[in-house]
This record gives sequence, C-alpha cells and structure tokens, in this order.
Amino acid sequence: MTKEEKIGLEEAMDDLEEIVEVLEEGKMTLEESLDLYEKGMKLVKLCQARLQSAEKRIESLTGELPPDLG
Amino acid sequence: MRISDRLDGDARLHDLWARGEVSNYIHHRSGHRYFTLKDQDSQISCVLFKSNGLSLDFEMKDGKNVMVFGDIAVYRPQGRVQLVARGIKKDEGLGYRHLQLEQLMKKLAAEGLFASERKRDLPRYPERIGIVTSPQGAALRDVVRTLGSYPARIILSPAQVQGDGAEKSIASAISALRGRADVVIVCRGGGSTEDLWCFNSEVVARAIFACDAPVISAIGHETDVTIADYVADLRAATPTAAAKMAVPDVDELKQSLSSAGVRMVRALWTSLERQEERLEYLMNAVSARRMYSLAQDARQRLDYLSERLEAAEARELQAQRSRLDLAKGRLTAVGPRATLSRGYVIARSAEGLILTAQDARPGQEIELILGKGRLLCRVLECRDEKEAI
Repeated sequence: MTKEEKIGLEEAMDDLEEIVEVLEEGKMTLEESLDLYEKGMKLVKLCQARLQSAEKRIESLTGELPPDLG
Repeated sequence: MRISDRLDGDARLHDLWARGEVSNYIHHRSGHRYFTLKDQDSQISCVLFKSNGLSLDFEMKDGKNVMVFGDIAVYRPQGRVQLVARGIKKDEGLGYRHLQLEQLMKKLAAEGLFASERKRDLPRYPERIGIVTSPQGAALRDVVRTLGSYPARIILSPAQVQGDGAEKSIASAISALRGRADVVIVCRGGGSTEDLWCFNSEVVARAIFACDAPVISAIGHETDVTIADYVADLRAATPTAAAKMAVPDVDELKQSLSSAGVRMVRALWTSLERQEERLEYLMNAVSARRMYSLAQDARQRLDYLSERLEAAEARELQAQRSRLDLAKGRLTAVGPRATLSRGYVIARSAEGLILTAQDARPGQEIELILGKGRLLCRVLECRDEKEAI
C-alpha cells in the first residue's frame, strides 16, 4: 500500500481542494501545472474509489450487535 | 396571635406557589384534605378546605407531585405554621425533579459545560462514527440507514437508554468510545419525559463534556431538550438528523469530486492558453527587442570603430610626421650640397636647371653651383653625351 492510498478522505479532499485552487490561480509553470493536475486526478480517483468501495462496517464495543445490523 | 398577625401582614406569604411531593395525605370525612408537601430538604403541612377542593381535577395521593397555590397561616390549636391551599395543580409528576434539574443546569452552566466557546466543529470527513444508543432501538437503525454509503466505520457503544441504571450505562458507553471515534452520536428515539430523564443526569452531562470527539445529541423528538443536548457540541432534532450532520452527503461528495476533475482540466487548459499567449507575446517582444538590441549593438560598434579610427588617424599622422622628419634628415644627408661637396656641380640657366646639353645654347650665360661658391660661365658649345664620349 503506498502512502497515497493510506491517506484519509479528509486529507485527500483537503489536498484536492488546494490543488484545484492553485491550478485555478494559474501562477505555475506549465510543467508544474501538469504535475499538480496529475496529482489532483490521482486524488480524485482515490476518493472515488473510497466512496465506491464503501462496505459499511458496523462493530460493537461490547460485541453486542443485533443480527439485522451485522 | 401575634405570630398570626405577623404572617397575615407579610405579602410574601400570600398568593404563593409551592412545589413538592404529597405525603401523609388524608381526605377527611369533613371534606377537608390534609397532607404534607415535601421536597428534598423541607416540608410543610398543607390543608385544602372542602370548598376549594371541589375544583380539583385529579386524584390526590401520596407521592404525587403538585404545585400548591395559597397562603401561609398559623393553625392556632396546634401552633403550627401551615399552607392553606386555595388551588392545587398536578405537576406532571416531575415537579421536584424539575427543580433539581434547574439546580443542576445552573451548576453545570457555571462550570462552563454549556459554553458556546467550548463547542467543537465536527470533522468534515469522519472515518469512525461512534454511536451511543440501545442496540435494539429504532434510533440506531435510523442512524445507520441515514449514514448510507458513506465510507466510515460505525462503532456502536451499546447503552441502556431508559430505566434504572440508564444514566451510568450511557455515561460509560460514551467514555468507552474515547480514542475510538472521530464523532459521537448519542441518541434515543422518542419517549415520555420520564423515559428521557436519564439524559438529564449529571454523569451523562460530564461524560459528554469529557468525550474526546465532538458529540451530536439526538434525544427524543424536536421538542424534548435535555441537559445532554445542552452539553453536546451539536444538537439534532432526531437521530436521523444527527446522522445527516455527522457525515457529508455521498452524492454531493461524488459530485464535487467530478467537478474538481473538471475544474482542474479547465484550469490546465486556461494555463496552457495563457502560456501560448505568453509565448506569442514573448515572440513579438523578442523580435522588437532584438531589433533594438541590434541597433544598439551597431551603434556601439560604430562608436568603437570611430574611436579606433581616431586613434588610428592620430597614429598615422604621427607616423607620417616621423617619416617626414626622417626624410628631412635623409634629404639633408643626400641633399645637393653634400653631392656638390663631393665634386659635382649644378648647372642652371635663367630657364632653370641644365640637365642635358640641349638645355643650353652656345653663348648663353649659365651659373655653376659648386660645393663652395659659384661660377658665372658662357657656353662655348653644346654637345650631346655620345659625342662627348
């Protein structure tokens, strides 16, 4: 698992927002923009994957979990 | 008697409301009712005379919580101060507890448990959602359903949410989530005020206060507000509403993700366009600038050359001058006088130098310039060179 796959949704979304803002500001060189764009798209994919694969996991601290929720 | 007068004259002891629990209730056959009104630390004898008792709209009995309207008076035969009731209202069975609640509220408020500065923001993207509720309750199902497909672990910390021991159970269920959740939902479905009462307890309030994650409370229905709601970082009207507050909307999230992609592509294109424009501009700028710099170069070169030219000219002049001097010296050295002194003669007539025999004619007067002095002579004969040899 790479570091990028490990980061949480919050961090990923925050990073993504920042990247979009920086890109929209347009103060970077073309090369830097491309790098950022690639990084941003990776984050988008990462978040999308995270949202897709959402199998809900319910756990109980006491182990007491009604069958309809397990 | 004087005591009685004193009491009668004190306005604060008339038309007053007293709140407490009924005990020692006696409905005398005279129609009058006698009882003791009690709260946590005091009690007072009360009497409700038959005439006033007719309007009673509920059945009095021991343990009932009531609010009594009346006047303080002395029952002289026994020298006893009592409350002479003129009206009695049922206190929803909670009079004393409400009083207690008010005191607890005051205390907790003074300690800052309700302070708005203390309220924490909810995490935007929680990964672990703690839920304190009954595993059997509908509230839990509402919450789980509403969390929908949002990718987070749901950690249930089971609690008994009504009845004896509920307070402690709720408090320890909240404490058990310490370090295990990013946000905690404490919830319970609707119920009677009595049912929800455990959420008014001090232990629950303190447990919520001590929770290391922000707490959303959702207890009963919209109109039920408990101390837990005041202490919680956020109060939701229902468990469903609490779940909605706890996580972002997944569809919106997906939407914003794809819009982030679009925005990035657009930004990239814009920046590309901008770069192109810049390139064009630079190209234009370059040619103009280049011309200018060429001209500049040329001018500089010109300056340089002219400087060099001047220097060269000066040098040339100098050279010429020295050559002239040299020539003068040599001229002096090889001049006619030196030649003359070696035995040669310059002959000249009035017409000029005589270089050939034909430059003179017989009888003409000519002058011979010698190394020293001159001779004036008359030509006898003019002979060509050949003949002379």
